[in-house]
Amino acid sequence: MIKSILIVDDSPIARKMLKSCLPKDRGYEFYEAGDGKEGCEKYTQIRPDITFMDLTMPVMTGYEAIEEIVKNDKNALIIVVTADVQMKAIKRVLDLGAYMVLKKPLKREEIQSVLLKAQDTLQKTG
Amino acid sequence: MDIEAQSTNHITDEELAILQEIMNIAFGQSASDLAEVIDTHVLLAVPFIKVMKVTELPGYIKEQVKEYKQISIVEQKFWGKFKGDALLVFSSGSGKALINLLQSDDRRGMEAGPIDILERETLMEVGNILIGACVGKLAELLRDVVTYTPPLVMVEKEYEEAISSGYYDHEKTAIVLKTDFRFESGNVSGFLFLVTSNESIKWLRDALQRFIEQYE
Repeated sequence: MIKSILIVDDSPIARKMLKSCLPKDRGYEFYEAGDGKEGCEKYTQIRPDITFMDLTMPVMTGYEAIEEIVKNDKNALIIVVTADVQMKAIKRVLDLGAYMVLKKPLKREEIQSVLLKAQDTLQKTG
Repeated sequence: MDIEAQSTNHITDEELAILQEIMNIAFGQSASDLAEVIDTHVLLAVPFIKVMKVTELPGYIKEQVKEYKQISIVEQKFWGKFKGDALLVFSSGSGKALINLLQSDDRRGMEAGPIDILERETLMEVGNILIGACVGKLAELLRDVVTYTPPLVMVEKEYEEAISSGYYDHEKTAIVLKTDFRFESGNVSGFLFLVTSNESIKWLRDALQRFIEQYE
């Protein structure tokens, strides 16, 4: 079961947009971080079931944060949510260990289907 | 200007934050479009938004590009309900670096032609892609349609020569959306400035509210 969700994005508007696309009736616990470094720190504290990660951020980029998180938790389930959908960017984050990449702006239906897939993966990995 | 109009034209911090996120999405789209043409990764920075008097604009742009010895500029005006000026400012040498990136084995043959014309055309083409995709996406997200003037190109000029203080109408306020970029391969970097005047602000504020309401 997905219980906790960490959203890492420097834009409070982007975090709000993402949260609004997530189902309200599942009782998720939400945590937020405003850059990659804070994202890594919160990840260590919380160990969320799913992390939504932006790429272009100050202090520490999403690329660096994914690398750092995956180094310490190979089962981390990180969904990249980004405006940067260049093929090289997508390949790089998947190589770093991201679970999947979603393009901004998000659509509710897309998020719902991603959550189902992530739920399935979480059950398989225990 | 009366008090009511002043209030209408005052863009709030939240609206600027929404505009910043939309700019982020729009420039990401344009970088992606360009990356399909040039086999490189365009490294993006967090976009920045600032409201200023138009009289401050030349000084502001100069401060941003002060590390460049010379600059090349691609400029396109756009208009719809959202209207303004897009200025794509490249660092010195970017034009020639872009020629190298765009061309393959037949590069030598093409360089036999006038390099300044080739450089101008390359900057115009790349500028057209970046500006068109960015402004187009921004307009799409705000449910507008814009048209453009043909791109104007200035190649390898001193800053003072490229942007004069009489460049803009001094009566106006500018919302400056700035993003800087760097190509992973080739020595190409620069800034994209979108400058919109206070004439667009009332419409822009309404459009930003409509955009974010989808996510309430």
